[in-house]
Amino acid sequence: MKTEKNLPRNPSSIKTRFAVKFLQAMNKMNKRKNPSTSMAVKYKRYQFIRAAATSSMASAVGPRRAWSRAVLRKMRNHTAIHRFPMNNKTRTTRRFPITRRKRSSILRGNPRQEDDLGFGQEDDLRGLVPGGQGMDFCRLLSETAHYIKCLKTQVQVMTNVLHHYST
Amino acid sequence: MGSEESGDRVFEQRGDSSILNYPFYGCNWDPIVFNEFGNQTVESSSHLLHFPSDMVPKISNFGSGSFSEMVTSFGHISETACHSNIAQNSEDGTLGPSPYGKRKRKLSPKNAEEEQHKDPSGDTSDFPNKDDDEKQKFEQNIGTNSRSKQAVKQAKDNLTGDEISKENYIHVRAKRGQATNSHSLAERVRRERISERMRLLQELVPGCNKITGKAMMLDEIINYVQSLQQQVEFLSMKLATVNPELNVDIDRILSKEILHLRASNPAALGIASGLNSSHPFPGCPQGTFNGAPGSTPPFNPLPQPDNDILYLLQHIWSNELQGLLQMGFDHDPSASSLGPNGPGQRKASISRAVSALWRGLWKTLVIRKGLSLI
Repeated sequence: MKTEKNLPRNPSSIKTRFAVKFLQAMNKMNKRKNPSTSMAVKYKRYQFIRAAATSSMASAVGPRRAWSRAVLRKMRNHTAIHRFPMNNKTRTTRRFPITRRKRSSILRGNPRQEDDLGFGQEDDLRGLVPGGQGMDFCRLLSETAHYIKCLKTQVQVMTNVLHHYST
Repeated sequence: MGSEESGDRVFEQRGDSSILNYPFYGCNWDPIVFNEFGNQTVESSSHLLHFPSDMVPKISNFGSGSFSEMVTSFGHISETACHSNIAQNSEDGTLGPSPYGKRKRKLSPKNAEEEQHKDPSGDTSDFPNKDDDEKQKFEQNIGTNSRSKQAVKQAKDNLTGDEISKENYIHVRAKRGQATNSHSLAERVRRERISERMRLLQELVPGCNKITGKAMMLDEIINYVQSLQQQVEFLSMKLATVNPELNVDIDRILSKEILHLRASNPAALGIASGLNSSHPFPGCPQGTFNGAPGSTPPFNPLPQPDNDILYLLQHIWSNELQGLLQMGFDHDPSASSLGPNGPGQRKASISRAVSALWRGLWKTLVIRKGLSLI
């Protein structure tokens, strides 16, 4: 049923790169341990899979995008913290730099330059998109567009993997 | 330039076309200028005759519509007369030489733009460059006599080819009746860029074609991103509970079938059907969901003793999800995923609530089991 001659159309697309990395992570996880599938293990596996999905997506995208750079940085910091929990120097607190927009609006004292009509949507969006704190609104929108595209492919690939596992 | 001269010629037929310049220069006009303006004889065109009398008393009502009508009539004349010339010479316009050294302007309503950037080739050789601040004052006095907006691209098209190649920064034209200080120009550029990005996002997010307005668009975008992230979480949860085959062959997985197999199936249906089929409770109204993705095989990946709690959780979650989704769910299997489509916002918020519920349940479960994983 699964023919092996159907190769992916574009071997270097983000989708294939992500799929490769994600499956490698899955294989590593499955190889690692296979104890009783208790809830604890399942939860850990869930966390691992989630982290693997995000990081493999980010590494498939590469450092070209601000959000992928932010994700990779977070991953690196996360592993550094977990490996050296006592060392506070490695912990990089992510400062939220005041963007140019906010600075100018602060200086002028008027929210004229807000684009979100004051409902806090811009801040929500910044919170959603990784690395969205340090950019102006225009850049944030383009990063959001790319992020949405990548999330879509991620969901697609993961659904397919799940389907493959279940058959 | 030749075209400029031909433009002059055309307008000289109508008497002194510098008359056309004057409407643009506002209330701060030198009274002497206006006297001379009044003295100019305009013979050929009847509209022009009215202008001196019309302009002087109406000098304070530049923002009124009557002025724009007058200019519009002129604009049509100019358009029909020498459209190509106008198209080529933006700054030069087609107006005759004015003794007052004002820059030529285009009068067609489409191209009645005011120059803002220091374009060296724009100025006509006939005109000494008079004060720009006067023009600026005029423009500010015009107020918001807004026209249909022109893309910056059109302004660029109006420039001749070598002008475009000379400049490597973005030229922005202030439209008629808009403020021209650098801040508002930069603001306008920024706004245009943002609207361009919003249009791109509108294409990405499904079901956003009818939505106009930045606020609602942003809402939809935020909901969509949240729902996509939740989908990833759900999928990873599902993958965690599946008992995986060891060493899945990557080449096999990477076959086109895997990558494109479920491309058409909405992810939500995949998730929902997977959940429903994993716990075949008799009493559940699963008909709607099971009917749609008929090809999904039921899978029962977990060994029996451990999965009762998980099944319970899934059952609770999926039942609530079913119930909530059926409120606004489009039973058409080609409906989109758990993201927004139609009642998208509601669905997204529902999925958010459900995911929070799921997370809470999972956490309480783990804590109850005496594990401190959280």
